[in-house]
This record gives sequence, C-alpha cells and structure tokens, in this order.
Amino acid sequence: MLKYILKRLLLSVLILFGVSLILFILIQNMPSSFAENKINEMNAGGAIVDQATKDAIMEMYDMSYGEWLRRIVTLDFGESFTQSMPVLDVIKRDMFVSFLVAAIATIFEFMIAIPLGITAATHQYSFRDYFVTVLVMIGISLPAFFFGQVLKGVFAVELGWLPSSGLGDATQSATGIAYVLEYVRYLVLPIATVVILSIGGRMRMTRTNMLEVLNSDYIRTARAKGLKERVVIYKHAFRNTMIPLVTSLAGLLPSLFSGAIITEQIFDLPGIGNTAYKAMIVGDVPVIMGYNMFLALLSIIGVLLADLMYAVVDPRVKLK
Amino acid sequence: MKERNEMNEAAAVEDIEAVEARGAEELETPLDRNVRLMSPTRMVLRRFFRSKLSVVGLIMLLAVFLFCFVGPLIWTQWGEIEVDDTPMVEYSTKTYEYTLDGKTHTVYQVIEKIEKENALAPMSAEHPLGTDKTGYDVLARLMYGGQISLMIGFLSVFIITLLGVILGGIAGYFGGIVDNVIMRICDVLMCIPGFPIMLVFGTVLTAFGELENPNAIQALMGDSRYRIYFLMAFLTLFSWPGTARLVRGQILSLREQEYMVAAEAMGYSTARKIFKHLVPNVMPQLIVSMTLSLGSMILYEASLSFLNMGVQPPYAAWGTMINAASDLNILENYINIWAPPGICIVIAVLGFNFVGDGLRDALDPKSRR
Repeated sequence: MLKYILKRLLLSVLILFGVSLILFILIQNMPSSFAENKINEMNAGGAIVDQATKDAIMEMYDMSYGEWLRRIVTLDFGESFTQSMPVLDVIKRDMFVSFLVAAIATIFEFMIAIPLGITAATHQYSFRDYFVTVLVMIGISLPAFFFGQVLKGVFAVELGWLPSSGLGDATQSATGIAYVLEYVRYLVLPIATVVILSIGGRMRMTRTNMLEVLNSDYIRTARAKGLKERVVIYKHAFRNTMIPLVTSLAGLLPSLFSGAIITEQIFDLPGIGNTAYKAMIVGDVPVIMGYNMFLALLSIIGVLLADLMYAVVDPRVKLK
Repeated sequence: MKERNEMNEAAAVEDIEAVEARGAEELETPLDRNVRLMSPTRMVLRRFFRSKLSVVGLIMLLAVFLFCFVGPLIWTQWGEIEVDDTPMVEYSTKTYEYTLDGKTHTVYQVIEKIEKENALAPMSAEHPLGTDKTGYDVLARLMYGGQISLMIGFLSVFIITLLGVILGGIAGYFGGIVDNVIMRICDVLMCIPGFPIMLVFGTVLTAFGELENPNAIQALMGDSRYRIYFLMAFLTLFSWPGTARLVRGQILSLREQEYMVAAEAMGYSTARKIFKHLVPNVMPQLIVSMTLSLGSMILYEASLSFLNMGVQPPYAAWGTMINAASDLNILENYINIWAPPGICIVIAVLGFNFVGDGLRDALDPKSRR
C-alpha cells in the first residue's frame, strides 16, 4: 500500500513536470507585445501600463524553463499584471464563490441523480425508464452556455425573479439572514445550470451499476429467501451500487475548487473560473500559469484519491 | 359426446399425418434452410432498429445533416457573410397643430430614417429567422455554422481514433517497456486541464492574429477562419489516451486467445496480427465510443466558439452565434438570433448520444432483447 502510494506520488511529479513544460512552450510562443496591448486596451483612455508592469511582462517572457520550474517549486507565481496582487492571493480570494457553487451543486446532483437512477434500473425498459433516460440525455446534450442563457433569459430578464449576473449588491446593505438570502438569490441560477447539466452522467452511472448488481446471484438468493423487494433493493443491491459512486466522489473533489469557466462567465460570478478566463483574454501570464498548475495539481490529487477510495470501499481490491 | 370424440380423433389423425409429411419434407431439405440464419451484422442492426430511441436519434442526425449540407443549395438567397444592405427605411410621422386666423391647421411631418443595412430584422419571408446585429441572414449562417461544427467533430474524432488505435494497439500487443512508456504518457495527458489549456492556446492564436507583421505560419494560425482547425488539432493531442486505453485493455485479453496462437503459427507479420486480427475485434467498443465522442466534440467546439476562442466573426459557428445573447437586449428581444443555434446543437448532440447508446446495446453480445 505504502509502496503503491509512493509510486503514485513519483508519477504525480512527472505529470506536473509535463504540464509545466506544455504551459511554458505555449506561453513562450505568445508575442510579447500582446499582454501590453491588451492591458492598454482594457484601461482604454485611462492610464497606460506603468513601468513596473512592463518590466514584469518582459521578465515573464524572457524567463528560462529552469527559472520557471524554480518558481513552481517555491509556489511563487509572481504578481498578476492586471490586479497588482500575488497570483496565490488572487486564487485564494476567488476560490470561495466557486467552491460554494460547486459544493451545493454536487449535493443536489447526488440527491436527484441517485433516486432517478435507481427507479430507472428497477423499472428497466418501462415507460418510467425511458422517460427518465430521455430527460437526462437532453440534460447531457445541452451546452452550458446555451442553457445558462435560457435560464437567464426566462428567470432573470423575462420574469425578473432573480438577478441576472454578478454577486453585486449582496454585500452592501443587508446583514444576518437577509444577507444570506440575498447571496443565495444570486447563486440560484448558476447552481441550477450546473446541476441540470451534470445530473445526466451521474444518473446513468447509477442506473448501469444498479442493473449490474440486480442481475447478480446474491440478489436472486435474497429474493428467493422471500425478502421484501424494498429490502432487496435498498439494503442488498444499493450498497454495492455505492462503490463506484463513492469512488467518483473522491474524483470530484478537485472540481469543487476549480470553478466552472463557462457558467461563471455567463452569470458574471466573481469566481476563479471567471478570473482565469479574463486573465487569458488579456494575456495575464502569471495568473494563467498559476491557475493551470493549480488545476493540474487538483486533478492529480483527485485521481490518486479515487484510486485509494476504491481500495477502502471495496475490500476485494488490492493496490499494487 | 361420442360423436365429438370421434371428430377429435379424426382431427388428431389428420394432424399427425400432416406433421409426418412435413417432417419427411424437412429431412430432405438441408438444415440451414430450415433454420433462419442471421449474420452478426444483421442481428446487430435488428436490435438497433428495434429500439425507438436509436431510430429517433438517427432521424435527428439525418435532419441536421440535410439541413447543413443540402440546405445551402436550396436557401441560396444569402451567403454566410453576405450583409443584407438593402437600406431599411423607417417612416414615422409627427403631427403639429396650430391656430391661425381662427382656423386650426394640422401639419404632418414625415420623418424618414434610413439605416445602412437591414440589421436585426424580424422574421419575414425574406429572412425566415431574421438578421443579426451586422445584417447577416440567421438561417443561412445556421447552415454554414453547422457545416463547420459537424466537420470539425468528424475530423477530430477520426484523428483521435487513429492515434488511439495505433498507440493503444502497440502498447497492448508488445507490453513491457513500450506499454509502460505509452501508458505513462497517457497518464500525463489525462491529468492536463484540457479546457483551460485550450483557452491558453486560443489566446496565443489570437495574439498571432493581431501581430503587425506575422510570418506565414503565424498568419495562417491566427486567421479567423482556420484557427479552429489548429485548436481542434491541439485538442486531439490530449484526447487520444481514452481511446488508447480502451484498445489496449481489449487487446490484452484478446492476444491470449487461441486464434492468435493460430495466427502466430501461420507466421503472419506483427502489423497484420495487430491490425487485421486484433483491431477488428475491438471495433464494436470503438464504434460506440466514437459516436459518443462525436457529440462531445461538437459541444467542445461550440464552447470554444462561444468564448470567442474558436471560429470568429465574421464566420459563423453555432457557438459564436449564441454568443450574441451576451448582449442583454438581444437576449431579451431577439430570441430568433440565439435560440436556433442552441436548438441545433442540442439536436445534433442528442442524436449522436441516442445512436451511440443504441449501438452500445445492440453490439453487446450479452444483451438479448
């Protein structure tokens, strides 16, 4: 077990190395005038780029790979070109909103998808199965940017029930419960978008696993013993269906922190995905580098956790 | 009572005679004519078409293809980047009333407002889906945009499958160090945050496009029409590990089978063993994964275009067209501009998902429906 984890950790270092190399090559190919021009454009009419930022940009483009690697190891990604604060602080500041949206959305996703998957599996090939499957397939096929716009158009613009974008006035006047409620009002649409688009995958996963378990011998034995159908399904079958679900939960951990670029962009949430997107548009290299390394690190942790979870949940699995 | 028994007996005798006669006939005809034989392909097709969802998916795909590739031949009034510059004249009248010498005079002033192009036109016979902000015909752009999306989808899935089959096949067949190296490369590529890196690459392409004096390669890569091809080529470099793992896993179990020993004994070349004997047996799983990834590639391309990283104006793509809705005025008042491309994406992706799902059930030898 220990040997396995050590091996995986070594592999993780290799993976991070690969990601950093690809990022470095990409950024080195970007014309150096780009960031300067874009930042000037952004401040249109106002102040042009000051000397300090100019130097920072030049330094970024002249950097060797060795120097870049040293910076990654020491977690020093430099200062953002546009926000005059260290990249790590930018990530820390914007992570909370993204985490909130993703965490609530994940809870809803599991709460809705698992019961749907179970009914679809226990009533295989019935009308109910087809109905749920079709609905869920439509959910998978909806592009986030289109569905987000539709929700925004209907509930924010047309009906005016919910705010259309930002986290705007939430922080200003209200306090206590009113503050929380106001905050929630801004998050309803983004969360709904994420949940509806992600239910599909989870539901199909539950259904497939449930079907597999329901066809196994021990379920037949349980039925032959004369157990109630409810006990057979929820006590005997569902427990084994949980194995892949729990494993995938560990794999989900990184996506909790990484932010949803498109959803945050549509609803203009001040989350980390939105910040990263804006940084990419203006060529804010330190933020781009920091964000991508952060994501790579998260996904490595996720994969490792998922594998370990598999061994924890399923005693038959031996890691080697 | 007795009568009826006799009648029954007579019927029974007759039956037995008929059966015997048929039996004799059957003995003369060879067995395979007696039993209806079905080739595996026909069985798969039969199972596929029995599922209503697969048929619906197939019809949806057919409709989208006809619309995108045959549509422009029929709807020729407007091109992809042809601005409708018939001046739009708006008349409005103002009424003035004044009294002179005890009489009331009414003066009508007719104001003529001329717009240079027919932008944001409502739905009409001339523009069935109206025109957008620049005065392009939405229907025509929907067709041309669909062509790009579908073509990109097919191209990238083809390349991904090719890379995946070759590398996965080699890894699975040879094993050992080769397998280890290829699989570690897969591990690295699978941990790369795909979408953000694509955005970074997109920004680099944008930077190329804005250079004052780019060299030939930079000019080509930065061109608003061709950049999406480079983007998707870049994407395929990250996307083959999934297919490679699938192929490798399958080949690992297949190469232990007896028919591979026979192939060995026949002295076939390695390439022939891999690509003629092993890969065809992976085909069922490959076809399913290809169909499903067609849908996700279309979504991917649309997302990139939506974020202004893929196909760029003036050229059309479904994602680019939906981007128009980030303007709240258009989101609220001109649904005819941004809803149709969204519906097209959903139909295309849903079609591929339905067909892929149907194929998976149909190709599964364990399923007996």
